[in-house]
Amino acid sequence: MLNDMNSLIHFQDVNFSYPNGTIALMEINLKINRGETIAIMGQNGAGKTTLIRMLNGLLRPTSGRVLIEGEDINTSSIGSLSKKIGIIFQNPMHQLFSNTVEEEIKFSLKSLDLSKEEVEQKTISILNEYRFEKYASHSPMNLSGGESKKLAIASIMCRDPDILVFDEPTLGQDANEIKFFLDMLKKESKKEKTIIMVTHNVEFAFEHVPRVVLMTNGRILADGPTDRLLTNQTLVSRSSLILPNVYKLKLGLKTIGWEVPDNIIKKADMVKFLSNYFEKEKSEVN
Amino acid sequence: MSLVKFHNFYFRYKGNKIYALNDIKLSIEKDKFILLAGETGSGKTSLIRCMNGLIPQFYTGHYKGIVEVKGRETTTTPIASLSSEVGIVFQNPENQLITMNVEHELAFGLENLGISPKLIKERIQEVVELTEITHLLSKAPFELSGGEQQRVAIASILILEPKLIILDEPTASLDPLYAQKIINLLKKIQEEKKVTVLISEHRLDLLISLVDEIILMKEGSILIHDSTNNVLESEVFDNLNINKPVIYSIFKQLNLDQKSIPISLEQALKRCAHKNVK
Amino acid sequence: MSLQFLNAFRFLKKNTIIHNLDPRAKLLFAIIYTINALMFNEIVPLFILFISLIPLILLGRLFKSWFKSLRGMSFLFIIIILLNTLFISLNFAMAMVLRISIMLSAFSVFFLTVDPNDLALSLISMKVPYEFAFSFSLAFRFVPTIAIEAQNIMDAQQSRGYEMQQKGIINQVKNLFPLIVPLIVSSIKRAFNVAEALESRAFGSEKKRTFYFTIKYTVKDWIFTCYLLALLSILIIIRINLPIWLKWSIPV
Repeated sequence: MLNDMNSLIHFQDVNFSYPNGTIALMEINLKINRGETIAIMGQNGAGKTTLIRMLNGLLRPTSGRVLIEGEDINTSSIGSLSKKIGIIFQNPMHQLFSNTVEEEIKFSLKSLDLSKEEVEQKTISILNEYRFEKYASHSPMNLSGGESKKLAIASIMCRDPDILVFDEPTLGQDANEIKFFLDMLKKESKKEKTIIMVTHNVEFAFEHVPRVVLMTNGRILADGPTDRLLTNQTLVSRSSLILPNVYKLKLGLKTIGWEVPDNIIKKADMVKFLSNYFEKEKSEVN
Repeated sequence: MSLVKFHNFYFRYKGNKIYALNDIKLSIEKDKFILLAGETGSGKTSLIRCMNGLIPQFYTGHYKGIVEVKGRETTTTPIASLSSEVGIVFQNPENQLITMNVEHELAFGLENLGISPKLIKERIQEVVELTEITHLLSKAPFELSGGEQQRVAIASILILEPKLIILDEPTASLDPLYAQKIINLLKKIQEEKKVTVLISEHRLDLLISLVDEIILMKEGSILIHDSTNNVLESEVFDNLNINKPVIYSIFKQLNLDQKSIPISLEQALKRCAHKNVK
Repeated sequence: MSLQFLNAFRFLKKNTIIHNLDPRAKLLFAIIYTINALMFNEIVPLFILFISLIPLILLGRLFKSWFKSLRGMSFLFIIIILLNTLFISLNFAMAMVLRISIMLSAFSVFFLTVDPNDLALSLISMKVPYEFAFSFSLAFRFVPTIAIEAQNIMDAQQSRGYEMQQKGIINQVKNLFPLIVPLIVSSIKRAFNVAEALESRAFGSEKKRTFYFTIKYTVKDWIFTCYLLALLSILIIIRINLPIWLKWSIPV
């Protein structure tokens, strides 16, 4: 095939407008490689959710092409694309409907052409993995907000897609829940899964996601390493974001005359750097 | 007199065995900027619903104890008449915009209270200036961005001139820049109007340096309610699974005295300047 | 998308002579045109009635939405034409299509140009209690919101392998559960949220409600009303004494 086989996902000059004429995406060119973790960020209405809905064919480009493993998505159905690409939407209430947690998982497995034994086996293993054994026969409607979000994730993960897409995964979550999500992300990333997340969470993306695509008004504003893009004041404010706190601290320290090496980027670097100073100070005092 | 006072209040929703609120003792005073924080499901929303009588009048269930708004019991005073004392802005602005244009949206609450159209006009004028939404007056809710919707939702409560304004995760669905703007707007309103603003929020970074008091909740109980400094110095704060401010979490790892851990950039820089490394 | 057709009934504020008419005058318009359409079975008068709507649609700058609403009904039209041609006649089928188009267009003009809140006000002026009138306008306010929600639910389910087409009626009904259950659950949740927001803004207060906005029947509304009544009377007269040329039918 002539297409660039190295990139798993390839948007080629993609434009999209809704039937009512609203232009949602303009000239999108984007390549994502296998095993990458990438964040798509930008103000509300910038086209982020439109973009991810193209990955499994929920929306089709008005012009241009979206290729997955070199194949145009227009040649496949939503059903077959969804085997490769799992999108986890923001609101779990939009997908939970079964009588029990177990049935909810089985519904997701139904369209995969598995034998009865395989379905049973997969259901049990995913329920264990997400610690739902106790709730297997409970109604999904009675789960807490955090638990139902977890179930929505499990209901996609059991289909074992290669590409995972999350829409605002950390929204309204507390520290425990974010930790759970992060652990899962690391685990899946080790398995060579490609992970794409739409998020407003600057701190999370800066710490844990290596690459970011910034969007504004239906266009890609910038695409590159998180370290560089999220510390660029112009880009950050044009995409309605704010600078990460670690970076703000670094700038602040410089203004009060501290020399902060360039390789101090993440929280852990900053802690190490500061602890040197604070230790030194302590010993001098003593 | 306290704006709102809880006397050993318990509540469980109809059909639930577990108490959503346990032995709540709390008083909210005037002219304060307060943060309400806790893990998800710790009862923040339920606590808020008690403050204008939605619990137990709208959300029924089993309750014990008393909640008073300016000395009036919330179990018997109609919610409508409490609305001019306590105003609540809920999580999803879209569900609060119930008319087809912003001007009507602002008028709605006052119409219900039987205020004359002339006075309504004056109040609209005042409130749109404060919340900077004059240019949106003739727009429909679905023509507004999320940030604008939230401003209108805030204005539609502000216009009732409550002494206590409560916001349940007001920035949840907003982009970070807008979220910061909304928090700053709320601080401005609190100072100019001398009202109390109480905000339930997950993103502590946005507002921790602005608040006077913090209430921490866990499993339906209030763990602590005190001035910002006292709460931050407490172990309760450190042990709770909430999203700590980034600055705090960095300095926490330096094994400093709990009392001297900065929470905001300004404090952090002061702390470091004071060290004077050079 | 089939839900797109709901947009044909979504009010969008514009400043045209049609938009500025009193909602009661426009309600009268929709009703009178419905009566007119029901009076005739013949193609010619129905066609003339249909044509007479077009200037109003153009004046209100509604052409696009109106056209979409007709297109949204095309499936129904095809069924009507097929069934009626098979069992009755092509002539009758065309008349039916015209009749439905007239009624649909008249109500589409009404809903596209009447602010739901003004609609509530006009209901109140017709002595409908405020709570009823308000719930009516509230329902309209939330139609687009719920349509978006339905789309999101569809997207979420399709992303986990849900497929629409299923064989057999029982399967088809069962197959709707993954869409309907979440829609009902989230609509109930939304209803609670809207209700608590209303309560918190003094809805149902014991004090007598004031109205910040008012509606007024002005000269142009009376002129429009006169036109509608005149049209109705003329058509009644024609109906009673139908000239032959109006009876023309498709020669099959």
